[in-house]
Amino acid sequence: MPAKRPLLLRLVEDYWGILLLLLAWQAWVVINRFNPIVMPTPVAVLGDLARHPDVYLGNVGITLAVALFGLVAGMLVGTALAIAAWFSPVASGMLNPLTVLFSSVPVVALIPVIARLLGYDTSTVLAIVTIITFFPSFVFASSGLRSLPPGSEDLLRVLGASRLHLLLRLALPAAMPNLAIAFKLAAAHAILAAMIAEFLMGTTGLGYLFAKTKSDFNTEQAFGASAVATVISAAAFLGAGWVERRVRERYT
Amino acid sequence: MNALRTTALGTLGIALFLLAWEVVGRSGLLGISWPALSDVLAMLLDPARLPMFRRALGATLESTAWGYLWGAGVGLVLAAATHLLPPLRPGADRLAAVVNSVPSIALGPIFLVLLSREATPAAVSSIHVFFIVFVSVSSGLQRASMAHRDLFSALGAGRTVRLARLELPAALPALASGLRLAWPAALIGAIIGEWFGAPRGIGILIINAMQNFQIVLLWCAVLLAVASSLFFYGLLTLIERAAYARFG
Amino acid sequence: MDAAIALERVSKRFALAGSAEGVLALTDLTLSIAAGEFVAILGPSGCGKSTLLRLVASLEAPTEGQVRVNGDMPGLVSARHALGVAFQDHALLPWLSVRDNIALPFRIAGRGVDDAAIARLIDLVGLKGFEAARPKQLSGGMRQRVSIARALVLEPEVLLLDEPFGALDAVTRRQMNVELQRIWSARRITTLLITHSVDEALFLADRVVVMSGRPGRILREVTVPFARPRDPTVMRTEDFHRLVDDLTAALDSNASASAEAPHR
Repeated sequence: MPAKRPLLLRLVEDYWGILLLLLAWQAWVVINRFNPIVMPTPVAVLGDLARHPDVYLGNVGITLAVALFGLVAGMLVGTALAIAAWFSPVASGMLNPLTVLFSSVPVVALIPVIARLLGYDTSTVLAIVTIITFFPSFVFASSGLRSLPPGSEDLLRVLGASRLHLLLRLALPAAMPNLAIAFKLAAAHAILAAMIAEFLMGTTGLGYLFAKTKSDFNTEQAFGASAVATVISAAAFLGAGWVERRVRERYT
Repeated sequence: MNALRTTALGTLGIALFLLAWEVVGRSGLLGISWPALSDVLAMLLDPARLPMFRRALGATLESTAWGYLWGAGVGLVLAAATHLLPPLRPGADRLAAVVNSVPSIALGPIFLVLLSREATPAAVSSIHVFFIVFVSVSSGLQRASMAHRDLFSALGAGRTVRLARLELPAALPALASGLRLAWPAALIGAIIGEWFGAPRGIGILIINAMQNFQIVLLWCAVLLAVASSLFFYGLLTLIERAAYARFG
Repeated sequence: MDAAIALERVSKRFALAGSAEGVLALTDLTLSIAAGEFVAILGPSGCGKSTLLRLVASLEAPTEGQVRVNGDMPGLVSARHALGVAFQDHALLPWLSVRDNIALPFRIAGRGVDDAAIARLIDLVGLKGFEAARPKQLSGGMRQRVSIARALVLEPEVLLLDEPFGALDAVTRRQMNVELQRIWSARRITTLLITHSVDEALFLADRVVVMSGRPGRILREVTVPFARPRDPTVMRTEDFHRLVDDLTAALDSNASASAEAPHR
């Protein structure tokens, strides 16, 4: 482990890219003398965040909640189907090409379709997040269920293990690291997908806030909504990354 | 399970799905929101509308192509730069992560101001491609084993030479993987970018169809997106396999 | 049948892509192992010795002939959780501690976990103090000890060992041989050991069976004359060396006779 370097130096080393971006942003707006309606400065956006925390918090809560529910639902469905495919080679053979097919569907293109089916409200947002998290979960769970420690399947069969035991005691635990990877990938996507759906749908949440403030020419708040979404998305990715590392530690 | 049986089952699965689509549509099970497959195909292949679909598809694919060029280019350069100058790594990683976390819909207005209405789809697309290529190539550049690197050092090669002759070729399979993985996100980026005032494209088709309640048209647009998605994803998969065969 | 393990005129043929007849791994093999006997199978690579063990372990079925364990088909014995097995891959589950790995057969058999039995076995294999350790924290030799403890925990009718020490270095391997001898002496379970090592076979077994190259047949059977319990010093005696040379010659003459080819 290297000796503890001064805090300032470490911060610069880690965040020079982001700082550079923010400075460039500020400079660009000032130099071009942009009207705040066209593009506000980062400082102005921060100001809006400080002045109207309640607006942001309310919408953040909704988007986060929907993203979380969709994430869990998508992972459960994806894992369940992967388990079904594991039990039945017939189901596996039929499901795999179908999922490849579906995974190349641009999910945002499905938003209007699902909205017509389920309604222009939060249920559609939930459905979209579920669909988006379903595919990586199914793919990673399927491969995880098959990445068994060498010789372990033979061992359990000789010990007289039933299929259920094989699943519960071997395949599922073996799949945990892969599921954690799917979780990490899906966590950030879930929030962003929820936002896109809310944007198109126009109901509640950060996406809706963005759409509304944009059309109201309240660009500072629109950027504020985006900034908040960026931060929680990045935080979700980091948090999920931490979870993934712990799971990997525990299961390998 | 032998290959023949797998293919048969796969085809059966897809066929069942298409059949279900047609049945649901014809019987009106899910209302007018789910039209029959035959209706959608009829509109898609209608000679009167074909030019419109072709233009829309062409515009979106062109934006995606530009997105690839720019995104992959910047991703490659940044990955190579941080590989040559390791102290830059943590900052670059975090910057890339943050840029990737910006909601695509927020990128729309930004690029609208920075660039133009026509360039926005390509720009949004390029952000998605950039991140995935940057991450893939960064890890790919480290693929060259220690043994190989020691060899190059012993032969007196400088870091740049080593980069060009050992690490970049070693990273090509990872680059190919990254390009393939980036495709869905790139296409979605282009579609979203179009929502902010592009003259034409699949994204425009979708929005218009949604706002005018033209359901069959909506499904046509979705089908177009899916078909092109599948085609290019398949193409990129082939390229990736070739890269692994040659450089893996 | 009073033999604990009996193979009668067993043949095993594997399908091979692109070949009509496939691969004949074993041909017309007859072998009988008495209760409490320790038999080692020696043979060149690809001779089918692992296939033989897999037949007894009910992982494969014979193409011709029959395999019986204590009079029953191997599948039945496996289903009543009476088979103990240790492979070259230790096959320890990485997310379980040493104790939980050894307890696994109990859970699979649906029986209550006998903590006392596990503790005794951990002591017997010399891993006291490592109960809570995870496989990644153990050395190769230690992992194989856990594997062997796990193989013994249900007091199986038959113990099957497929090159359990194959992945270990020579020094550790010799140590493990001594350990296994000590452990086995405490239980005297009917054991079938597959090995490459002539030393190992002679030190551990009551009888050594030499197989030919593919397709596998029994070439010779040698009864090991050394009294039990065996001391490591027995490996330095003249008789031991003579037997080693004898068996090595038998192996060499056959290794050249069969071509090296994939045996699965």
